[in-house]
Amino acid sequence: MLSKLKEKFSKTRTHFLAFLLCALIIPSVAVVLVAVSGMVTQEKAMEAAVSSYVQDLAESMAYHLSADSEVWTFSMLSDFTRFPFFSWGPSIPGWVALIDTNGRIIVASPGAMNIATIWRSDLPVGQAVRVEDKQGAQFTLAVYPVKRSSGGYVIAAVSWTQLLGGLVGVVRIWPLLIVFIALFSFIAIRLLWSRLVTPLKSLVNEIDNMTLGKDVPEKISHKTVSEIESVHSALMRFAQAAVDRDNLRNRYVRDIVQAQEQERMDMAREIHDGPLQDVTALVQQLHMALDDESGETVRIRRTETIAKTVVRELRALCDELAPPWMDLGLVEALTEVAERLSQVYDIEIFADFDDGTRDIDIENDKTLSLLRIVQEAVSNAVRHGEASEVHIQLSKNENVAELEISDNGKGFDSNDINHETLRVEGHRGLASMTERMSLMGGKLNITSKEGEGTSIKATFNC
Amino acid sequence: MAVRILLADDHPLTRSGIAEFVRREHTFQLVAEAEDGQRAWELIQELKPDVALLDIRMPGLDGVTVAQKVKASGLNTAIMMLTSYDAQQYVMASLRAGAKGFVLKTVSPKELTTAINTIAKGGLYLDPEVASVMGERDFEPDPLSVREREVLLLAAQGLSSKEVARRLFISERTVQTHLASIYDKLGSRNKTEALLLALKYGVVTLEELLEDD
Repeated sequence: MLSKLKEKFSKTRTHFLAFLLCALIIPSVAVVLVAVSGMVTQEKAMEAAVSSYVQDLAESMAYHLSADSEVWTFSMLSDFTRFPFFSWGPSIPGWVALIDTNGRIIVASPGAMNIATIWRSDLPVGQAVRVEDKQGAQFTLAVYPVKRSSGGYVIAAVSWTQLLGGLVGVVRIWPLLIVFIALFSFIAIRLLWSRLVTPLKSLVNEIDNMTLGKDVPEKISHKTVSEIESVHSALMRFAQAAVDRDNLRNRYVRDIVQAQEQERMDMAREIHDGPLQDVTALVQQLHMALDDESGETVRIRRTETIAKTVVRELRALCDELAPPWMDLGLVEALTEVAERLSQVYDIEIFADFDDGTRDIDIENDKTLSLLRIVQEAVSNAVRHGEASEVHIQLSKNENVAELEISDNGKGFDSNDINHETLRVEGHRGLASMTERMSLMGGKLNITSKEGEGTSIKATFNC
Repeated sequence: MAVRILLADDHPLTRSGIAEFVRREHTFQLVAEAEDGQRAWELIQELKPDVALLDIRMPGLDGVTVAQKVKASGLNTAIMMLTSYDAQQYVMASLRAGAKGFVLKTVSPKELTTAINTIAKGGLYLDPEVASVMGERDFEPDPLSVREREVLLLAAQGLSSKEVARRLFISERTVQTHLASIYDKLGSRNKTEALLLALKYGVVTLEELLEDD
């Protein structure tokens, strides 16, 4: 089911990318094609118009000059007013000229001076042709013979350069532009592919093949857009968080297992060194008492003493494992533990409970947590702080209670606490106090200064 | 006339051991055995024994609760806790619940006899083991001053040093000094022990101690 869905999604993804590419390629190609066809059509139309124009011009000029043969004298020839065409030139950029059969200019409109350079006797007559002068300027010209005795030709020409002006350049640039468009489209598509599609695909691949909590994707190697980079770095952060979380969990489990094993070892040693030895001695005394025929009760008395010791030791062991008095209430439990600790470490412990704290009614496991915190705090105060006095204070304000354990020991710089270092070194005391408090929804605050003792405040809801 | 005794303990082996001892004693008459707190309470109401030996931890009702019920009902049965817990807070809790005796199960028969006889006559009996110095029977403590007695009784009610100071119009430091002096005189190491010893030596009475209840 899931894999099907996944497949469907990946298909949609592929389709979308194909669509995206098509959406880019098709318009580019269409633009190029339309441009090319537009250019060709326009060129053809211009060509036709210009051709018919020069043909008409040359033909009518030739006709005029043939009909006007009477006035065709050299003297008259200089009178341009009679031939306004030659003085003005054609109405569109170009020129018109009358040449003799040898190609010499008899009369010409301005700008027709380079006629000699393009005149070739093999130019077809009565038909528009396209020629190029030595400078590469393009002309469409038509040649018509003048029907009179002296002969000659009328040449009408339109200069493409002048007619279209800058447009000719543009027309020339057109193909280049199209090539550019094609090239840029190609580059854009290439870029799109390499910077977007490929990174996206590899990102998808990475996500698909990633084992959460184990792998962290490597830093992005290929160039890509910043959005994908952000997605990728978000993925890296996410994967790193998963790895961290897994590591933390594994470490926790390891710590718990270690602590359990340590506890079992301690317990086994205590049972072995205490009750087990004593019961062994008890059995020996009983054997001897049975063998004793004198009927003396000394041995029996000794067994009683040993048995009482065993009971005391076992009771102490039970109290250590799970203090039974915690179900008497928090204040009673704290009093008991304070008095016991005071005896164990031979220090002064002042336990003070504010009015109203007797009403505190919390679950046994919370009471136990607070007892453990007190035990740990007092043990630290004595072992590390060499304290001789500990104050345990319980106060309550509305629904928040505060248990403060302060000592007159050496103290330390509480800013230097590094739970990680302590944990690695096997000192879980402070960390486990903090964890216990956070487990019961409370907070633990440790303040200490070199030479000023330590104060541990546990705040919790009650 | 023999002392009529009820015994309640959920552990069969311990129960039979104690029962055997009680039966052996001529001055005692074992009227009933109960294996849990509820049964003990029913039997106490029905048989009205002179003394009830109650274990603290029992299924259903625990010993302290049964003691409270007996106290509340006004029955004349004297309650004695017979337990394996040596926590002084249990002693305090039992006394507050109306118990007149507190002995550990490892008690010697001789001592148990004394204990039962003491509370049957309306006295108070505390096992010497719950406060280690309690065993020194011939110890005669220096008398407490009036102020010290007041401080001890208020502290016994569970008041903080601050509150005791406020009520007696003295400073907290003075309260601490008084307490230290009380501990010294009674030979105790803490407040609870001081209270228990004060009871034992008759410096204060159980009634005075439980006034707040």
